[in-house]
Amino acid sequence: MNHMNLMLIINLFNKLKKYLLSKSKKKFFNFVALVILISLSLKFFNWIFFNLNWRVVTSNLNLYAFGSFPSNEQWRPTLWFASLFSITLATIYGPKWNWLRKNLFFGWIGTVPLGIYLLKGGFGLAPVMSRNWGGLTLTIFITSSSIFFSLPIGIILALCRRSSLFLIQKLSSFYIDVMRAVPLIAVLFFGQLLIPLFLPFGVEIDRVWRAILAFTLFVSAYIAEDIRGGLQSIPKNQIEAANSLGLNTFQINLFILIPQSLRIALPALTNQLIGLFQNTSLMSILGLMELLGVSRSILANPEFIGQYIEVYIWLASVYWILCTIMAFVSKKLEQTMTTNKGY
Amino acid sequence: MNPILIVKSLTKSYSKSILALDKVSFKVNQGKVLVVMGPSGSGKSTLIRTINGLETFDEGEINVLGIKVSSDSDERKIQKIRRRVGMVFQQFNLFPHLTILENITLAPIQVQKRCKNEAEEYGMYLLSQMGIESHAKKYPSQLSGGEQQRVAIARSLALKPELLLFDEPTSALDPERINEVLDAMRRLADQGMTMIVVTHEIKFAKEVSDQVLFMDSGKVVEISSPDIFFSKASNERSRKFLNQIDKSKSIK
Repeated sequence: MNHMNLMLIINLFNKLKKYLLSKSKKKFFNFVALVILISLSLKFFNWIFFNLNWRVVTSNLNLYAFGSFPSNEQWRPTLWFASLFSITLATIYGPKWNWLRKNLFFGWIGTVPLGIYLLKGGFGLAPVMSRNWGGLTLTIFITSSSIFFSLPIGIILALCRRSSLFLIQKLSSFYIDVMRAVPLIAVLFFGQLLIPLFLPFGVEIDRVWRAILAFTLFVSAYIAEDIRGGLQSIPKNQIEAANSLGLNTFQINLFILIPQSLRIALPALTNQLIGLFQNTSLMSILGLMELLGVSRSILANPEFIGQYIEVYIWLASVYWILCTIMAFVSKKLEQTMTTNKGY
Repeated sequence: MNPILIVKSLTKSYSKSILALDKVSFKVNQGKVLVVMGPSGSGKSTLIRTINGLETFDEGEINVLGIKVSSDSDERKIQKIRRRVGMVFQQFNLFPHLTILENITLAPIQVQKRCKNEAEEYGMYLLSQMGIESHAKKYPSQLSGGEQQRVAIARSLALKPELLLFDEPTSALDPERINEVLDAMRRLADQGMTMIVVTHEIKFAKEVSDQVLFMDSGKVVEISSPDIFFSKASNERSRKFLNQIDKSKSIK
């Protein structure tokens, strides 16, 4: 009986499918779908551009970009953005010269010390306190510095985890496992509240650097696992070949294993970068004025009270655009790194 | 004639019952070519890999270029040997992320601390010897198997080794690519390079080798000159092996 019912339903379903998918009907349904889509999107854009009041964003653009960075020094983060933007362009559209390809990676690394110098000042620039850093500047600064520090630490952790020395291997495994078992927000609270207690008397790390330290501790464990995956996929005969050439373990790691594993781990590393970029918004809970923190303080302003929708649509778009750019750059980097290498 | 390599009753076992090498002893003099033959699983590769320390062994002694190695020798001694002994693998094992020239100059620059220009100049010379200097800027995956293997030979020559080990250098190649690699090896032998070659290429063994070592299940069955080995092998087991190879050749 049950079986009969099932057959009946299948039969009915097939007939319905045939009816719906006949050619003229297909065109008709396509047309209907198109009309619905257009009218919906018209309504949406109408709502976005005419019903919402974007003054809350437009009058605060400066705050979104630089936070409370002193206005006569704002050329410094602007210059940093410009350098980031130009190296992004060079990565995506740059000519395929060999020397450029090889140095792009170092160019990307160099943007971080440049950012630290430009934001912090000193050596000829007026110093700016880190509590004045904010907005997009701070978001990008925390992201890039954390990646800058956690990448080498991650590589070292991954190598240690594969080490033949018992203690080193166990310690690194322990660190990675603990960090992966703790929620990020707990690590961030730890960074903000507990690190000052552990520091010797008289030593102080300000809030931004404590945040970067916490992110670095957390992300390096994940990066270590990504790189370990890359290391494991390198065939053993590569090590044998390097051994037979008389290279020692350090040289094999530096010249053979790390470059190949970085290339293999690049998609996973991009994933970490994008995740980290979005996770910096957690710092708004801990009182840093990055993108989300700026938004919260703007919403607390009596002038703009209740304009949540505009602020959060704007915020989502900014995150979306920047993440898309990062993913695109990484894809390009992947291509330039693989061209002709066939792996 | 001073011996470059003396192997004395070398023994290695992977598990308790199976001996990979069973009291293997032989000698190789300077400028001579030793060809190692035998059925698969007979311990040829294991033997050649113990010589530069890619495999450990349990008993016996190896004397390479005057450096004595026993089963408990440390890494440093093996490093010393590896700097003076080149090795070519069945699967080429080039570094895919480095160009051909970088593959060749990596060890001279990092291990021998030679300056970059000098290493590159010598690398280009070696590539031209192998007839592939036009590929210097390419990556390994852009080359054919035969070309890759010639790069691998050039790479092993870059350290100016006194002994070259070949572990089935032509087994992974297309039949029509085998000769270009064998020709390169032949030229090396003519230049007086001391070589140990594991191979199934009978023609190469007949023409180039000074001695043939035949192995079966970890034991040396016989060592003789190629004339004697290929015409009137003294041992039953080696005659059987040669017959098998002849048959498979005639089928082709």
